[in-house]
Amino acid sequence: MSAEGPGDRPVATEASRASLAWEGARHMTPMVLGIVPFGLALGATIAASSVDPGAGAASAPLILAGAAQLATVQMLDTGTAPLVIVVSALLINVRILLYGASLAPWFAELPLWRRLLVAAAVIDQTHFVCTPRFQQGDLDQRGRTAYYAGAAGWLIAAWLGAQAVALVLGAHLPDAAHLEMAAPLALVGLLAKSTADRPAVAAAVAATAVAAVGAGLPLHSSVLVAILVGMAAGIGTARATTPAAAEVEP
Amino acid sequence: MNDWAVVLAVGVGTYLLRATLFVVIGTRPLPGWTERPLALVAPAGIAALVATMVLTDHGRLAPAGIAPLAAVAASFLAVRASGSVARGLVVGFPVLWALSAVGL
Repeated sequence: MSAEGPGDRPVATEASRASLAWEGARHMTPMVLGIVPFGLALGATIAASSVDPGAGAASAPLILAGAAQLATVQMLDTGTAPLVIVVSALLINVRILLYGASLAPWFAELPLWRRLLVAAAVIDQTHFVCTPRFQQGDLDQRGRTAYYAGAAGWLIAAWLGAQAVALVLGAHLPDAAHLEMAAPLALVGLLAKSTADRPAVAAAVAATAVAAVGAGLPLHSSVLVAILVGMAAGIGTARATTPAAAEVEP
Repeated sequence: MNDWAVVLAVGVGTYLLRATLFVVIGTRPLPGWTERPLALVAPAGIAALVATMVLTDHGRLAPAGIAPLAAVAASFLAVRASGSVARGLVVGFPVLWALSAVGL
């Protein structure tokens, strides 16, 4: 993390924690606008499928990850073998392990049970929105927790709300509005923010290429493979561009 | 019943993926060499997700049309220029609708 000594960080007061939660929610709003159409479409897909209605409804809060939930529901609907479904869905979600690695150090001062609660909301959007904010280094543990709670709470409430509405009312998204593009258009904004140096650009370019060309990789593993190749490309670029500042190897 | 078992298994497995490092890391800081790889998770991860959404369809390489790709590019540039993530949707959707309306 940063080099500042212990005790240097400003202490979040009650009022500033409320405003940090609000700030987290505000920063999450573009992502919320991106996932609501997806949640509506996913809920409608579940309602129209042959999946047990209770299990279909429970899949949203139990899995809390849209791509894996969609894959699970679709494969249940087509009668895929249960083991294949579970392995595929978890492979889609292995990237969450990396997000956990990146987020966990920012919550190291919390007691275990609260870390386990924080972990429940680890997903693309919470990682992508919160990590850069934490890296600014001006928040203490309580401030980071408040920011995260605001960001994650708003995201999850909107996600579950959208699916619930679609399950109950059905959902017909107007085709002409192209709402299915909301998620990529919101995410690409985060991409623009997170590609500030050459290693990050190299990682994004390599990951894009692998995700596109490797779309047919077995068990829906293309996103995970793309992330790993992208990271490798970024590390390679960092080594190539800063030979003098050789990274300290053990 | 079978559906419940599968959904539960995916849910529990996903939670374990989320929580493992929160338990393992605990109060120990990560070693310094992990900083660079972890900083690259976000750009690689977002790019992989966006590419999957706009360049592939059901596991095949199948780029979306000109309008969606132009909208994604416009969103990217708008956020780059303004520094505001919200600008991506504000600029991207009008581009998408306009180009779609003229048949691209």
